[in-house]
Amino acid sequence: MAGIVAIWQRDVLKFFRDRARLVGSFAMPFMFLILFGSGMSGAMKAMMGGTGASGPLRDFDFVEFMFPGIVGMAVFTTSIFSALSVVQDKEFGYMREILVSPISRMSIAIGKVLGGSTVAVFQGLLMMIFVPFIGLEINLSIILRLIPVMFLVAFVISSIGLLIASTLKTSQAFQMVIQILIFPMLFLSGAFFPLSGMPAWMNVLVKINPLTYAVDMFKKIILQADQMTPALKEAMGLNLSVFNHTITFTEEVLFMVAAGLIFIILATVSFSRTEAT
Amino acid sequence: MDPIIEVKGLKKDFKQFEAVKEVDFSVEQGEIFGFLGPNGAGKSTTINMLSTMLKPTGGEARINGFDIVKSRNDVRNSIGIIFQETTLDDKLTANENLMLHCKFYGVDPSIREERIREVLHIVDLADKRKQIVETFSGGMKRRLEIARGLLHYPKVLFLDEPTVGLDPQTRSHIWEYILKLKEKAGITIFLTTHYMDEAEICDRIAVMDHGELIALDTPYELKNKVGGDVVEISTSDNEAAQAKIEQNYERNVKNKDNRLTFHVTKGDEFLVQFVREFEVPLHSVNLRRPTLNDVFLHLTGREIREETASQKEIMKRNMKMSMRKGRR
Repeated sequence: MAGIVAIWQRDVLKFFRDRARLVGSFAMPFMFLILFGSGMSGAMKAMMGGTGASGPLRDFDFVEFMFPGIVGMAVFTTSIFSALSVVQDKEFGYMREILVSPISRMSIAIGKVLGGSTVAVFQGLLMMIFVPFIGLEINLSIILRLIPVMFLVAFVISSIGLLIASTLKTSQAFQMVIQILIFPMLFLSGAFFPLSGMPAWMNVLVKINPLTYAVDMFKKIILQADQMTPALKEAMGLNLSVFNHTITFTEEVLFMVAAGLIFIILATVSFSRTEAT
Repeated sequence: MDPIIEVKGLKKDFKQFEAVKEVDFSVEQGEIFGFLGPNGAGKSTTINMLSTMLKPTGGEARINGFDIVKSRNDVRNSIGIIFQETTLDDKLTANENLMLHCKFYGVDPSIREERIREVLHIVDLADKRKQIVETFSGGMKRRLEIARGLLHYPKVLFLDEPTVGLDPQTRSHIWEYILKLKEKAGITIFLTTHYMDEAEICDRIAVMDHGELIALDTPYELKNKVGGDVVEISTSDNEAAQAKIEQNYERNVKNKDNRLTFHVTKGDEFLVQFVREFEVPLHSVNLRRPTLNDVFLHLTGREIREETASQKEIMKRNMKMSMRKGRR
C-alpha cells in the first residue's frame, strides 16, 4: 500500500513541477474550444435549421455542446499520456530502481494508473475556468458529481495507456502509437459533433469506443440533460443507444467500471512481464 | 557463520549465447568481493540474476539465506544495488529521491529523517539535500546513488562498475566512501569492475571470462600465481633478445608494443645480474610488482583492456549510445 502511494505521489509531484506540461496539456483543449468551437458554431447552427430555427433548436449552442467534449478531451489526453512516464522511466533507468525494490509489480501498475488519473482529473477541473466565458451555468453540485466520473474515465484511459506503455521501450514509439489512437477515439466519441446519421461501420466504432460513453456522461452532467426538451436532447446527440436501447447514466457507469477492471488487469499482467534489464 | 551469498551452478543463456556458464562461488559476510573481467564476460548478467532482475536458466543462488527465484522479495529487502547507469530521478531533489526509496523499501516513517541524514553524511552530500539532482555532477550522482542504496540497511551492496565514466579523482573518492562503508557498517560489498587497480581493494576476487570463473582468490595470491615480479625491457633488437632470454633464463617472454615482458622471482636481484650480462643493447629496463592486469594476462593470454567484447555486446552498447544521443 505504501508502495502504491509512493509511486502515485512521485507522478503527481512531477506533474505539478513540470510547468511546460501543465501549460501544454491545457493549450490543446483550449485551442479546440476557441478555434474549432467558435469557428464551427455558425455553420453548425445553419445546419441545425438555420438562424431562424424555431422552437427548441434555437437553444442549440455549439460551443456549449462542445464544452463537455473538451473536458473529455482534456481528461482523455492527460490520462493516456500519463503512461509516457512509464516509458521514460525505462529509458532514464529509474524503472530499475522501482523494479529492484520489494514493491509488487501490481502495486507499481496501480500506483501509475492512479497517478495518471489524479493528474487527469485536475486537468479536467482546470477546464472549468472557461465556464463563465461560454455562458454555461455550473454549480458546485455539478462539479461534485463530475469529479468521480472524471476519475472513473481517467482510470480506464490511464489503464489503456499503461497497457500500451508496458509493451514499448521508447517514448518515440509510445507517442506515435498514442497519436494514432487519439484522433479516431476523439472524433468518434461525440466530443466535437453530434453523432447522428453516420455510416453503419462508423456507428459500430462509436459504440465500442469507451470515450463515447465518457463524453456522454460529461454531457449529461454538465449540460443538465434531465432538464432539456426531448428535441434539443436529440439535436445534442444525447440519446445514445445500443441495439435500440437508450443507454442510461447508470449503465454507462457500469460499463466504465467494467472497462476499468478489464484494462487494469490486462495492464498489470503486461507490466509484470517487464524485465528490468 | 553461513556465507551471505551462495551460488551453485548458476547459468544464463540468451538464446544461443551462453552468457554465464554454471558458476559456483560463495561470499562471506563483511567481505569486499570483486568480480573482474572484460566487457561481455558475464559480470552484469550474474549481478542481474543475483539481484532478482533476471531469471537464471539453471542452477541456484541464495542471498542472506533466501533463494533468488523463490523468495524474490526477501532477497530484494536484503540487498542494495548501484547500477552501471544512473537510476536517479533527475527532476526531483536528492531528498525526494531518498524519501521515495524509503517508501519503496518500507523504512519506518519515524526513522526516515535520521537515516537520510546519516547516509548523506557518509557520502558528503548533506548540504546538497534540497537540490534538484539534474544539477549534480556525475560523481555527485554516483555518491547519491550509493547513499540511496544504503538507506534500507541492506546486508549486501551490489556495485556494478561503480566508477565507470568518472574522472580519476572522483573515482578514488568513491573508493574511499566504499571502504568507509565496510569499516562502519560491516556491510558485504559485491562489486564488478574492469579496472584492475580498483579491484585491488577487494578481499577476494573472482576473475570471469567468457561466462566462466577462471580464478578466485585474494589479490595477493592471484598475483603470486603469476610467478613473481614483472620485468619489461626494450632493446635494439627485440627478436634476438626474446630468443636469448627464452634460451638463457628459460622464461616465457611476451613481445608487445615494442616491449618484452617476462616474470622472474626476486626481481631486484635478478635485474642486477641481467643488466650486467645481457648481450643485446638495452634501451630501457623496468621492474614492477605484478598487477591484476598481469594476472588477467597470465590467465587468459589477453590484456583486460583489449576490448574483447562479443559482437552482441558491441551492438548493445552502440544501441544504448544512440539512444542516449536521441534523448538529450
